[in-house]
Amino acid sequence: MGVADVVKEGPGRAFVLCNEAIVRGALEADVKVVSAYPGSPTTEILDTFSEVSPKFDLRMEIASNEKVALETCAGAAMVGHRSITSMKSVGMNVASDSFFSLSYTGVKGGMVVVVADDPQAHSSQTEQDGRPFAPNAYVPMLEPSDPAEAKLMVKRAFELSEKFGVPVMIRTTTRVSHQSGMVELDKLERRPFEKLAWEHPPGRFVTVAESARTFKHALLERTRRIQAEFEASDLNRVATTGSDVGVITSGAGYNYAVDAAKILGITPSILKLGTTYPLPRDLIAGFIKGLKTVIVVEELQPYLELHVHAIAKDANPGLRIFGKWTGHFSEALEYSPDIVVEGMSGALGLKAPVDYKAIMNRAEELKKGLSDRPPTFCPGCPHRATLYALKQATKGMKHILSTDIGCYSMSFLPPLQYGDSLLSMGACLGMAAGMQYAAKEKVVAMIGDSTFYHASLPGLVNAVHHDDDLTLIILDNEVTAMTGQQPHPGSDYGAGNRPTRRLVLEDVLKGFGITDITIVDPYQVKDAVGPMKEALSRKGPNVIISRRACALYADRNKRKRGETIQSNEVDKDVCRRPYTCVRTFHCPAISIDDDDRKSVISKELCDRCDVCAKLCPFGSIRLREGE
Amino acid sequence: MPAREHSIYMSGVGGQGLVLLSNVIGSACAAAGIRALTGEQHGLSQRSGSINVHMRIGEEIRSPLIPVGGADVILSLEALEALRYVEYLKPGGIVLMNSRVQHPIIETAEHMKDKTARYMSAEDVRGRLSKVTEKIAVIDALSIAKQAGNPLTENIVMLGTLSTLEELPVPEDALRQSVADNVPKKALDVNLKAFELGKQAAFERLCNMVKCRK
Repeated sequence: MGVADVVKEGPGRAFVLCNEAIVRGALEADVKVVSAYPGSPTTEILDTFSEVSPKFDLRMEIASNEKVALETCAGAAMVGHRSITSMKSVGMNVASDSFFSLSYTGVKGGMVVVVADDPQAHSSQTEQDGRPFAPNAYVPMLEPSDPAEAKLMVKRAFELSEKFGVPVMIRTTTRVSHQSGMVELDKLERRPFEKLAWEHPPGRFVTVAESARTFKHALLERTRRIQAEFEASDLNRVATTGSDVGVITSGAGYNYAVDAAKILGITPSILKLGTTYPLPRDLIAGFIKGLKTVIVVEELQPYLELHVHAIAKDANPGLRIFGKWTGHFSEALEYSPDIVVEGMSGALGLKAPVDYKAIMNRAEELKKGLSDRPPTFCPGCPHRATLYALKQATKGMKHILSTDIGCYSMSFLPPLQYGDSLLSMGACLGMAAGMQYAAKEKVVAMIGDSTFYHASLPGLVNAVHHDDDLTLIILDNEVTAMTGQQPHPGSDYGAGNRPTRRLVLEDVLKGFGITDITIVDPYQVKDAVGPMKEALSRKGPNVIISRRACALYADRNKRKRGETIQSNEVDKDVCRRPYTCVRTFHCPAISIDDDDRKSVISKELCDRCDVCAKLCPFGSIRLREGE
Repeated sequence: MPAREHSIYMSGVGGQGLVLLSNVIGSACAAAGIRALTGEQHGLSQRSGSINVHMRIGEEIRSPLIPVGGADVILSLEALEALRYVEYLKPGGIVLMNSRVQHPIIETAEHMKDKTARYMSAEDVRGRLSKVTEKIAVIDALSIAKQAGNPLTENIVMLGTLSTLEELPVPEDALRQSVADNVPKKALDVNLKAFELGKQAAFERLCNMVKCRK
């Protein structure tokens, strides 16, 4: 499992996460430059690379955002080195400006761009389908279904990229990225890193006007050649059974389709597409020619379905095509075997062997009264204290809270339900600018330190330049907390723990012309309220920095230093059940004793931030006896 | 002979070591030449939220997600989370649940308002689950983990319990070896002890209902 298998010399066999398999594939392909910004469901690619990078002769950066990461890889690949970047669906929106141009200029060394979509929006702001980026940019796209295939496709992608001089996109979804499975490890053969000479004529990678027009013709020709290669690629698999029913699918959809067919006891022919741009149109035409019925199984948009319709118009006009347009499958949410069983059985007029609705109804009955458990701030999380202080500081002050992407996004969830808008990384500032023009209320923008460096700097420049009346709260917890506490430009180390230069937040703000900066420690929660209130009452733009390390990160460091993590307890003789700790603080470590109705603190969960102790009006919370 | 298919729906609360547990089982399968795959949860939902890992063993299985009604076993590191995913259990399937309850903050917020209310308990969960299966083992994994020497080994206690099932296609030795391979060296003894104590708990609370090894 994990890193130990990723660095094995091989050959061998291992049980690894798909994201680890992607790293292994890149290492086997002798990748030389890696750059990425974390984002679920791709984060483990970055984490694994970061952990193994000191063992290999490669260059890696944890970039400030996805666009910079893609450009870093593009630069290295233009010189001639193999490079890889990974990003979540919405990360591609940030990187796409350069992604489109890069398809025009092309690359010399192999370059792979891993993009992972998140159907069900498990950890994302939308269910964006990243596949249209490939045809829109004329960048070839491969879609694996499992870790073994992901590793193979990464290696193939590097070869394709060099053969055709174009970056290659590998598109996954959450249930592919976060799937562990068996992978055959090939032998790791690495060459030493060396700098290469820039061997290109002037203007080779400049795309504008006339050169863009020239590039465009060339890339259309390139795409035709790639399609011809994909027609015969073993990354597309046809399993013909002689049935007049066929399934066309790719990625995660393939996994569900195979299991669903088995549950239904049917044996349709299956075309599993691994090269989903450019699509192998002749292969698809050949597959559907002898069929009466085809079912398209794909999550999110009807991308394959659209093309199957177009191809069938000539190849098999009488073909019955079932998918989203016929209402058998949804464009919303991720699929599962039972969802695909229902879609397929509906399309084919079969009765599902299991009555899923009856099982679900029975389960709902059994679960009556079971509380939901949405994600929330960890015990010890400084955001909980900051939000408490902010609520106190804004008492009686009508305001709009324009929030951003990070753990603090969860403030809108129950029980806190605090926060008015959230769009995308760094958007809180631009939105706040519009709000302060349009709304009567005070406008507060809130962002984490990593997101601040990722995408809010232009928003800050804009706010200063226009003297916008808003207060920005920066939650400075030292790391990119939500994705697993990776370092960022405010850290003095980077990938593989190598030293980096730390940007000082106050200096950055001052450099941008912010002169009104208030710094508070959320753990000193009562002391934070006054200065926050004053800052909020002044005309903006001004900034409040709430500074305290992410609790998970701090705990990890404590354990490394051999320090124990203490916990608090409630002195029940003192507790008079004001429930301040419950009502205003909502810490998962605190619950209520059913017998005496007094608060209790879980020794296992408490992190001893001590904030609840500071809030208790009776002083009943103290360090646990014996600690 | 290919291993028979076996699906384990594992659930818990973010931070309990569910992904490590699935890795230990998966690595044991790899070592024993058995095909396994998982559908895991990483990212936002891990922050003290409800989490699940679908663990699937079998040569022909492709979906990392277990279908509704398709789990041979629900293994839960927290009592409420055993009930939350009851729809995945096969008719007559096995439930291995930790008796520990971690109350969600929104439950506590409601609980504060109603002085007569009692929290849903592990016994309540067992009672509700008993309407769909008789094979329920409630294990006090936290006490056992503390007895082993580290409260963080609840996941390995539950693995020890699971390892006794005769229908589990993974050999016990492979599981024990995988624990040794996947935990930090200095925590090895504590984890192996947790594994053994988890087995003992199974002999007391599980093996009277289902077929166990030895």
